[in-house]
Amino acid sequence: MDFSELGHHNEIKDSLNKILGKECSPEKLKEFDVEFKHNETLISLLAINGYLGLGIHEQYGGSGEDLYELGILFECLGFHAAPLSLTGCLIDVAQTIQKFSQADNHKSILSSIIKGDIYTSAILEPFNQDTENPITRAEINGDKLIINGTKYLSELASIAKKILVSVTSNEGVLLVLVDSSQVKLTQLTSTANSPVFKVEINDVTIDRSSIIHAQGKGLEALRYLIQINMVMRSYLALGVTEKMTSLIATYTSERKQFGRVIGTFQAVSHRAADCFIELECLRLVNQQACINLNTNLDCENDALIAKIWAGNTCHKISYSAQHLHGGAGVDKDYVLWRYCLLAKECELINGSASQNIEKLGINITSNQ
Amino acid sequence: MLIQLNQQQAKLKEELHEYFKGLITPELRTELNNTEFFEGGGPEFKKAMRTMGADGWIGLSWKKELGGKELSPMEQYIFVETVMRTGFPFPFLTTESVGPMIAEYGSDWAKEEIATKILDGELIFGIGYSEPNSGTDLASLQTKAIKQSDGYLINGQKMWTSLANFSDYIWLAARTDFEVKNHKGISMFIVPTDDPGFSLSPINTLGDVRTNATFYENIKVPDTHLVGEQNQGWSLITSQLNLERLALVNHGPVEELYKNVLQLAEKTKINNDQSLIDLSWVKQNFAQVYSGIEALKLICWKQTWIMESGQLNMAEASVAKVYGSEFFIEAYRLLMEIIGEISLLKNDSELNVLNARLERMYRTASILTFGGGTNEVQRDIIAMAGLFMPRTR
Repeated sequence: MDFSELGHHNEIKDSLNKILGKECSPEKLKEFDVEFKHNETLISLLAINGYLGLGIHEQYGGSGEDLYELGILFECLGFHAAPLSLTGCLIDVAQTIQKFSQADNHKSILSSIIKGDIYTSAILEPFNQDTENPITRAEINGDKLIINGTKYLSELASIAKKILVSVTSNEGVLLVLVDSSQVKLTQLTSTANSPVFKVEINDVTIDRSSIIHAQGKGLEALRYLIQINMVMRSYLALGVTEKMTSLIATYTSERKQFGRVIGTFQAVSHRAADCFIELECLRLVNQQACINLNTNLDCENDALIAKIWAGNTCHKISYSAQHLHGGAGVDKDYVLWRYCLLAKECELINGSASQNIEKLGINITSNQ
Repeated sequence: MLIQLNQQQAKLKEELHEYFKGLITPELRTELNNTEFFEGGGPEFKKAMRTMGADGWIGLSWKKELGGKELSPMEQYIFVETVMRTGFPFPFLTTESVGPMIAEYGSDWAKEEIATKILDGELIFGIGYSEPNSGTDLASLQTKAIKQSDGYLINGQKMWTSLANFSDYIWLAARTDFEVKNHKGISMFIVPTDDPGFSLSPINTLGDVRTNATFYENIKVPDTHLVGEQNQGWSLITSQLNLERLALVNHGPVEELYKNVLQLAEKTKINNDQSLIDLSWVKQNFAQVYSGIEALKLICWKQTWIMESGQLNMAEASVAKVYGSEFFIEAYRLLMEIIGEISLLKNDSELNVLNARLERMYRTASILTFGGGTNEVQRDIIAMAGLFMPRTR
């Protein structure tokens, strides 16, 4: 048993906090309250300093396949409310290709991502919460696949070099790469103003070589993608809720009413303490899921538990933070509002708490 | 970062599991199902304690030179977990809190007579801390011990002295100085329950756990019954609080209960085709409990690791206490919902399930949210030590 952070983990965290702290000051964040929330300078900075290679094997120029390091990155991105939507690129595309692809041309995507090129995924479908069973179809015709369907909430699709799409075919589930030029993209405006797109795929023809995994491994690869996405989104949620809790502690230790700082009222300090407890639970279930996913490709229950805690914690801490800040919390000149929006995204994307409770329930009762 | 038991720890768990299988005889199980004896004190319980003493399973936290095993906090946690899973009312406070303090700070008499017998499984202590007017504010206690030429004269009353009805001694906190600040005037004594000045009256509680009010009238004890220096008792009271609190919220028993209810739900047919476990809301209740247990396990393991690495982290210990005690209440509720009305039947009733454990546990659950350091005080500690907020008033 050892819960200590390794020295180099702390170094990664410190140095990321330095970079992100500078690039995500309230003034700079304001510059990205625009239609396309994406800080290219920050991407380059992360690339130059090697942080886009966290969790990627050394042979592609990364820093090694330790998912724990990738978790630190997403925790930091959440903590600073960074104007970067990178789950599609760094998790869905990079990690799934790393684990499941055998083709050199696919693996070369890893080196490209490390340099700062954007790739993305299109996995989620409107009104289909059963992500393992895509409605999007691929008709296989010899060496060609013809794809039809609609995906949404695809991050940064307009600047992505390739889009990783989940489809159902008569060979089962497949993960395939398509060019963004082959599909119709429409930007959607979402609650946290993240740059997400609707992806319409109409009779798009691709080669069989665009399938990123070995034959028969599609479902396994998609399940892995969903699980690692859940865990890393939970790390994003951890960063977001850590920041909100620290804002609560600072604000209530300064704000005075009735001649004393409001943090000295037990009703206030106890609500803050409850946030601390939630946060500690979220951190621990994330760590467990991350460590297990490092050595095991299928840890669905650990991932579900992390995402369940992430969903509940985001909800509870967000409203506690707003409440304890009073009017300051909802004022867009203060910083809290951005975190509240991000918290809702972390809570709902790729499985809500209730949905995941149902899944976990099925899993833990099925082996009986 | 490594979140799992190592080989040695896993082996210990296995070993203890096997040991308790042998220790808990059907006779002992029957005795423990009797309300009068489920906290211990019966003849089979006493026999089992002596066996454990002889087999070297008492004194796990004690230093080796005091005759103990000097197990690490993690190993102690595993021991507590395994014992609690069996339901055996192991007297942790006597053997793991009072015992090592007497062995270390007691007089020669106390070391030879008392500490040795605790290790042998011969003695049980009741804990005399709380009083009618001193609960959460324990340092305000008023039971007094007046120094005389040949010992101390003790007068006062204690509340919630559990096990006093079958214990041999009371580990008593008494005021020896009324002039100094509250916590600076307290000393610890070993008080024999066969003294004519000792009496008790039972307090029957919601959970059918018997506890007692205990009375101390002109009890005279020799100087050898003082443990530690006079007026230095407070540090003995607080020295092992973190370990004690952690033992209260060990994840073992609730996980055991979860497993038992899961098996029951699988066996229980609700019609020709379906078992209880096939209902979607039942699965969801199980998932709520399971995701809560996982968090509790991790919190406890982390707190144990913190102690093992010699760090002091007050906020984390309080997180474990608050989260654990409040989660138990929620978990019992969710599991009782699954079993339904039949979980209302008591253990002497026909048709009861799982020895009516849930029927009793929901009635005892509230003890932990206020006992062992009330959760309000724990939240105060979390806000101060974890979030660096100002002290509440």
